[in-house]
Amino acid sequence: MKNGQFLTLGIETSCDETAASVVADGRVVMSNIISSQIDIHTAYGGVVPEIASRRHLERINDVIERALKEADIEVKDIDLIGVTYGPGLVGALLIGVAAAKAMAYAADIPLIGVNHMHGHIAANYLEHHDLEPPFMALVVSGGHTEIVNVPAYNSCEKLGGTRDDAAGEAFDKVARVIGLGYPGGPKIDKAAKEGDPEAVQFKRVYLEPGSLDFSFSGLKTQALNYLNSERQAGREINVNDVAASFQEAVVEVIANKAVDAAKRYDQKRIVMAGGVASNSRLRALISAAASAAGIEVLKPSPVLCTDNGAMIASAAYYAYKSGERTDYELDAVPGLEF
Amino acid sequence: MKILAIETTGKYGSVSVIDEEGHVWSAESREEMNHLRGIISLIDEALASAGISKSELTHIAASIGPGSFTGIRIGVTTARTMAQILGIPCIAVSSIRALAEEALSKAISSDARFVVPIINARRHQTYGAIYEAEFTSDHEHQSISVISEERQYMIEELLDKIGSDVAFFTGDGIDAYGDIIKDKLIEGCYSFADEDVRYQSSVSVAKIALQKAKRGDVIGYEELLPEYMRLAEAEQRLKAGTLSDKIKKPY
Repeated sequence: MKNGQFLTLGIETSCDETAASVVADGRVVMSNIISSQIDIHTAYGGVVPEIASRRHLERINDVIERALKEADIEVKDIDLIGVTYGPGLVGALLIGVAAAKAMAYAADIPLIGVNHMHGHIAANYLEHHDLEPPFMALVVSGGHTEIVNVPAYNSCEKLGGTRDDAAGEAFDKVARVIGLGYPGGPKIDKAAKEGDPEAVQFKRVYLEPGSLDFSFSGLKTQALNYLNSERQAGREINVNDVAASFQEAVVEVIANKAVDAAKRYDQKRIVMAGGVASNSRLRALISAAASAAGIEVLKPSPVLCTDNGAMIASAAYYAYKSGERTDYELDAVPGLEF
Repeated sequence: MKILAIETTGKYGSVSVIDEEGHVWSAESREEMNHLRGIISLIDEALASAGISKSELTHIAASIGPGSFTGIRIGVTTARTMAQILGIPCIAVSSIRALAEEALSKAISSDARFVVPIINARRHQTYGAIYEAEFTSDHEHQSISVISEERQYMIEELLDKIGSDVAFFTGDGIDAYGDIIKDKLIEGCYSFADEDVRYQSSVSVAKIALQKAKRGDVIGYEELLPEYMRLAEAEQRLKAGTLSDKIKKPY
């Protein structure tokens, strides 16, 4: 406690960002330190788990130190420590979990293990201070494409998810195929702004009627087939057009299904979360479809869409307030379900 | 002086507390590779049996490897963070050197010239070293000197260095390469540590940490870093130019 505020330290190391943040009363970001490893992993074309684990260890303590300093607090002011314990890369997760447990034990601070995906949803509590459940959440990231009903704090009911590739994965694969490189999401988003989304016909995969699931694995093959046939016909390939058309096929399906889910569950708000929630076309399409149905769409700012400690702190705060406690046996759970 | 010593580089995790006079209190996990789950309760148990609170600790020591990469990271991260929060210095202890410490008196009583810790690094590779056991006439002050430095060896390469001298082996490399040792060395010129003293233990980490603390050989928590003795596989491949594109971002 400092100045009457309940202070939570959030620690996040599930993939390639070493992050720590101090959040006041579950809502106000006092500091948000994110040490990204993207420059290191770019040389390998993606995240290398062993290298990520090694870097997390070297950086975690300094990142925690900076989070406290920037929030202008000391260890004794912290009321709660929240840490991501899954899903993610096991070697990466365990650095955060080991550090959080050692800190909680050494300073006698309560500990909460947080599901990374719940954290992404909680990012919205930091952005929209009046937001309270119930709402419909759309979580789209490199590893996830999920529609989640949120009836109450810390209550997540998964209604649909991807059956193969996540949206972010599809972006990475197609970006590689058309030569845009890694990371695919932002690169396709940018190229698509200069392209025609109707230039190439990509299939919209809605699966069986009423399904809230997704399937994106066929899109890479479609992109490859298109490139091959154009090359054989001797036509020049417009990368921007391919990017725009592919992106449209992905985000149109996501936007329509999310709005459909909100309607069916009579939710008046859709809350976006995850790295792909930063995609400008997805944001535009879902806003258009939702407003036609009288549904409000809330999005966190880009810095809160990426992996960060603040969202973990917020989720931990609400778990703690609802009476949840985590003991020192906390382990990393790489395949943690929603 | 009250030093907490953490050892999680092998199969079983353990934690010890050692005081200035060398009294040791320990807690040891009975579950294999239970390092992350069990680490805090081991620390708590060791402190309780020593009858001290964590605020009385003066140093945090950790076995920094080589050994299980994951195990090393759990021990080192825990040690760094505890030292950071408690505001006390760290002591880095080599897992190979700690194995030698544990084996020293046994080696001397079996008339071995060399103490050879070997940690299994798979495919005929081992993390190891060759030390020469020495003792003073009163048998109280044993010491060791380095004959072949701590690094990664092919087991055959290490055995060649021993030649026909009498060697006492310790470490889980015995489990993997015992047959190769028996094959290459002369009968009667080698002996193996018993299973109860063969594996990494926080007791010897604590003993070495105490020696280091008395010498003032201590570091800040940010300087306590793992000794993997090996690059990540992808780093090796990048250097060799044989990186595959299988690696991808899963989250």
